[in-house]
Amino acid sequence: MGTLVSAVAFGVVLASVIAVAAMGFTIQFGLTNVFNLSFGAIMTVGAFAAYLAQVNGINAWYGLAVGGAAGAVLTLLIGRGLFRVYARRGAKLFEMVMVTLGLGLVINYAIQAISQNNVYQFAVLQSKPLRLGPAAITPTQAILVGIAVAVFAALEAMLRLTRTGKALRAMAAEPTLARSCGIRTGRVVIVTWLLSGFLCGMAGVVYIINTQSVGYATGENFLPLVVAAAILGGAGSPAGAVVAALAMGVVTEIVSAYGGPQYSTVAGFGILVLVLVARPGSVLGGQARETRLTL
Amino acid sequence: MRWSIGRVTAAVAALGLAATGCASSGGAAGGKSPLVVAGVVAYTGASDFEGQANAGGLYPAISEVNSAGGVLGHKLVYKTVDTKNDPADALPAMQQAMATTSNLTLVTGPDTSSAPALVPVLNNAKIPMTVVAGESAYDRNTLPYFWRLFPPDSANGTAMALWAKRKGYTRVAAVFGTDSGSQGDKPGVIASLHALHVKLVANVDLTPDQPTYSSAVHKLIAAHPQVVMTESDATTGATFFGELKQQGGLVPVIGTEATFTAPWLKAVSGALGSSFRSDFSAMINAPSKPTKAISAYRKAVTAVKAKEPKPWQSYLSNPLSITYYDGVITVALAMNAAHSTDPSAFNKFIPQVANPGPGKTVVYTYAQGVAALKAGKKIQYYGASGLINFNRYHNSFTNQEAVASSNASQPTALGTVTAKQIQAVPVTGVG
Amino acid sequence: MLSSWTFFISTLVVYFGVDLLSGLSLNLQFGYAGVINFGYIIFQAAGAYAAAVVTLGPSGPASFQHYVFGAKLPFPLPLLLATAVGAALAGVVGLFGLRRIRRDYQAVVLLIVSLIALQLVQADVPLFNGSNGLVGIPRPLQSQLALTPQGYQWAYAAWVLALCALVYLLVRWLSKSTWGRSLRAVRDQEDAAASLGLNVTALRLQVFVIGGAIAGLSGGLLVEFIGAWSPDAWGYAETFVIFTAMFVGGVGNYRGVLLGVLLVPILFLQLPQFLPQIGYPGLTGSLEWIIVGLVWMAILLLRPQGILPERRALALPDLSREAA
Repeated sequence: MGTLVSAVAFGVVLASVIAVAAMGFTIQFGLTNVFNLSFGAIMTVGAFAAYLAQVNGINAWYGLAVGGAAGAVLTLLIGRGLFRVYARRGAKLFEMVMVTLGLGLVINYAIQAISQNNVYQFAVLQSKPLRLGPAAITPTQAILVGIAVAVFAALEAMLRLTRTGKALRAMAAEPTLARSCGIRTGRVVIVTWLLSGFLCGMAGVVYIINTQSVGYATGENFLPLVVAAAILGGAGSPAGAVVAALAMGVVTEIVSAYGGPQYSTVAGFGILVLVLVARPGSVLGGQARETRLTL
Repeated sequence: MRWSIGRVTAAVAALGLAATGCASSGGAAGGKSPLVVAGVVAYTGASDFEGQANAGGLYPAISEVNSAGGVLGHKLVYKTVDTKNDPADALPAMQQAMATTSNLTLVTGPDTSSAPALVPVLNNAKIPMTVVAGESAYDRNTLPYFWRLFPPDSANGTAMALWAKRKGYTRVAAVFGTDSGSQGDKPGVIASLHALHVKLVANVDLTPDQPTYSSAVHKLIAAHPQVVMTESDATTGATFFGELKQQGGLVPVIGTEATFTAPWLKAVSGALGSSFRSDFSAMINAPSKPTKAISAYRKAVTAVKAKEPKPWQSYLSNPLSITYYDGVITVALAMNAAHSTDPSAFNKFIPQVANPGPGKTVVYTYAQGVAALKAGKKIQYYGASGLINFNRYHNSFTNQEAVASSNASQPTALGTVTAKQIQAVPVTGVG
Repeated sequence: MLSSWTFFISTLVVYFGVDLLSGLSLNLQFGYAGVINFGYIIFQAAGAYAAAVVTLGPSGPASFQHYVFGAKLPFPLPLLLATAVGAALAGVVGLFGLRRIRRDYQAVVLLIVSLIALQLVQADVPLFNGSNGLVGIPRPLQSQLALTPQGYQWAYAAWVLALCALVYLLVRWLSKSTWGRSLRAVRDQEDAAASLGLNVTALRLQVFVIGGAIAGLSGGLLVEFIGAWSPDAWGYAETFVIFTAMFVGGVGNYRGVLLGVLLVPILFLQLPQFLPQIGYPGLTGSLEWIIVGLVWMAILLLRPQGILPERRALALPDLSREAA
């Protein structure tokens, strides 16, 4: 019983780390329809920005904002600058996946070249674990859970209560209709790039706060979990991404606790495969509706 | 514009020829043509520490030899061949290097993953290699151009088990990454614990680079080990042991030789803070007592510090780098002894300039060795890594030493496990 | 020197052949049927493992590597088995992965399947010896042929090229057949093709299985040549090298694939090794990938149809026009 409770608690921690990134990925993808495989590389950029800030005397927790800002700026540049050029030259959904993949390679290996392949230490204050019944999680992990909850609440509030948020949701659901209703799509797209980029960069920092080290492969290693959670949760749905992250996190940790830890991530991905096999329609929207890029 | 495939192919061929022309035209600046020493290990990817250690040892070795006038008038130059830890990448990369490099005289490597594919190729081409592959399969090597100054992986594991037993530990946990480097060293540890009847209470494998290992940590604590034996990549180690400490489950940790390298020590000591010094030790190839060989090595490292991978200080005592260094010096001395830079002539001189023997002059540096050879003496190169003694299978087993430190350049010796003790343990079923 | 050139070039010829098989397989799947197989490399890996374990002989408890189905089958049975295993795995994956979903989703799902497969093989050591991989796989017929090492290299290269030629003729014949035209109809106008009575899912599954068989064969050929196989050899990035080759050469055009494979994996990834070393060790490796990424993006921008574009005249114009 104790093991189960701890595994669930740890699962929530893991889910929080995944969820911040997955929320960013899913709103970006939901609105623009760009399946952005360079997302991982941008997470690494955010992580390195926070690391550099720390080296220059800025507290690790402020690093969340630094990393987020770096991610937001870079994502906006790429989205408005680069991706639009490709879209204008006729790139469709799949061609865009290829573009983002190439971009991811370039960014990743550029970071590898600059960082000289080294792993750098990202120190966060440590203190005694908090006891929650049989489970014990560290204060740092508790804060990460808090951050994920806060991000989720803020994002939901923004999407449901603000004008821009409502416009964003309308555009994600019915782009043509939204445009004919007079929504200024350009502005909404810019907001989406900034917002998702911020979450992306911040997610990179969340990741390294827990692992306490940063290297060029930080985001690349993490991306599959994020993408799986975003697909599982349904494109454009932060709530779906959070639920998916929770499911993956808890299953990963339960398998790790009861089975071999080496199978834990396989099990996390396994959920995605199981759902695809059992109910493909629920996740992937059934028909092969040819969706267009919104840039 | 439409290209016919024939024309494109011709262009490709021309480009290829132009490239090779460039590569081979870079001749020697004065004197005789340089001799190429290749590092054949992973310089990129998860095991890139191999490449850093290789460069860390080869730059000083080459500088040491060249500043003493080179080998029979030839300068040594360094060439890297990246195996990327993948036999499929390593094979063409090695053959490319062999085809395009004139005077490829010595290979330092190959590493564990690419050795099965490369060792026969190099041996057929009569290129001597100072191998770092840990497979026990090479304990009974019969290939003439194969030389190993490094103990097999299993010897490191056996030394760890012996050390744990000596410290009175009876409950051991194994925590290893599922990357190829860690998994390569793991069987030796497990089999040695088994052979010494030490109880393995938990056997934890970690998929590298996960955001958290909480449940694995919990599981480990529940098994109540007295000591953890480990190897993983730096990030995974930092995350796992950081969480282990925060969960209050930290027990003494004994790392393999691969953990006693700058990235791992830096990452894990950062995560463990003050506990690191008291709780971590690693089993490494015994650094010999301060000798002139060590001071020569350190001087050479300092001389080339601008070229060394960062941080250069970590190579002052990196056991892998020191072994690479000794390999180059030994082979360079063998060429002097043979008065030839032709491998088929000097290969058999390699043990003659290194192994101990009656009436031999002990030398500690390349310059000393050359001088003694010129004076007509027989020499024994006593390396920076200590005594070199090749057996009939071209293996040189060394003592192992338990060390502690968060700084790879300043190990504190805790105790020695001798080569004899290691070889007395009947370990079976490891590669 | 001369003999080492022979070794190098003959090895490159073998690699060229293996990459060409991969290119042909992907081009059949993507160029003709529009199936984006981002998990390509696992089918090659499956073939390689299959060929390896049935060549190595049984794995005993005392042996230092562990694997399933150890046997010692004579040439060419391991290759045939590799082909069959590649096809079978493709059948299983295709059955679940090829439903009618958005193409970019499908691509990413296959990518994740490829990651799962990799982690599973690394985690489950008794399966194929985990991360350490399998080593010491003997080359086929080496003792029977009694050739010099060089002679054997060239014989193997010729054997690989012969199989390439065979597969080339096969896929060309397939693509020109009625079946191939249906594939293109499905690719270009999926809904229209379905409404004309073509079984879209079945067609895709068929092309996936044929591609998987070719992938398995290429894996078997590669592993018997290298003599070792491990998870490091089939990271998902390997798939993208072949995709880049196809895009550079020209999607949907077999001569384009030939050119792309010659340019990208062979010339492009070998050329940097000829250049002088700069910076710290490993920098060249990073720069190599940065260049691959940049070339890739440049091609997608400037010439998305590749150097040798598909000849549209061969497609089925009537069907797509009627549908539109």
